[in-house]
Amino acid sequence: MRFAETKTKPNLRPSTATQELLADQWLVVVLDDPVNLMSYVVMVFKKVFGFDEMTARKHMLEVHEQGRSVVWVGGREQAEAYVFTLQQWHLTAVLESDEAR
Amino acid sequence: MKRVEVKLNLEAVAPLLDVIKGAADDLGPALAVAPRVPDLDEDFSGEWKRELLAGQNSDIAAFLALFGPEFFISGMVPLDATNREAILRACSAVRLRLREKHLKSLGDEALESGEAPVTEMPELQHKAFAAYVFLATLQELIVQHLDPNGLE
Repeated sequence: MRFAETKTKPNLRPSTATQELLADQWLVVVLDDPVNLMSYVVMVFKKVFGFDEMTARKHMLEVHEQGRSVVWVGGREQAEAYVFTLQQWHLTAVLESDEAR
Repeated sequence: MKRVEVKLNLEAVAPLLDVIKGAADDLGPALAVAPRVPDLDEDFSGEWKRELLAGQNSDIAAFLALFGPEFFISGMVPLDATNREAILRACSAVRLRLREKHLKSLGDEALESGEAPVTEMPELQHKAFAAYVFLATLQELIVQHLDPNGLE
């Protein structure tokens, strides 16, 4: 199993502390899909983000009822890694700039 | 290490394997969900997709390995910490593909409720729907009994 133990995306771009400091905040957003089970989505949120059951369910319900949930906010590189990991689990995850909010 | 051996009804599941393998084969060169890569750079985007595809193929291989010769003798599929995550993801990928390939006309509400008009479906769609429900049941079982977040 190639990815199960990793939470990283392909490492293609060097990152510097300066870039991180200057960077805007980025949002990891999960969009609703008609296939994945609610219990599966809760399990993935707990696994990827370390959420407790209540937090994971809150985000899952936001996705289900509002069509999207912001599940993480922070630096770009870590946000990309989370998007990649969520896509490994076949969730529809996107990266958005905090400026768009 | 916790291990669960699930005994499946051979008569019910074996006929679904063709449609499941067909969907799995479709996924060989294609991702179940077209990813929104957060960078337009061609190299970055290409590597992102290749890595996702390699992971998806690895997961599907682990899933299909459940249905080897032993399964056709005993109906048993072994689930444990070494394969549970791959199988969860593979079930998701195959369900996404089944929906895209065979079930879109049923509508999402019928798929979510599992209450589609089975008797009115053509045979192939009927099998695809049964496979879609079976894979969901397998996922529920793993989440319930082998939750990757739980203690070993």
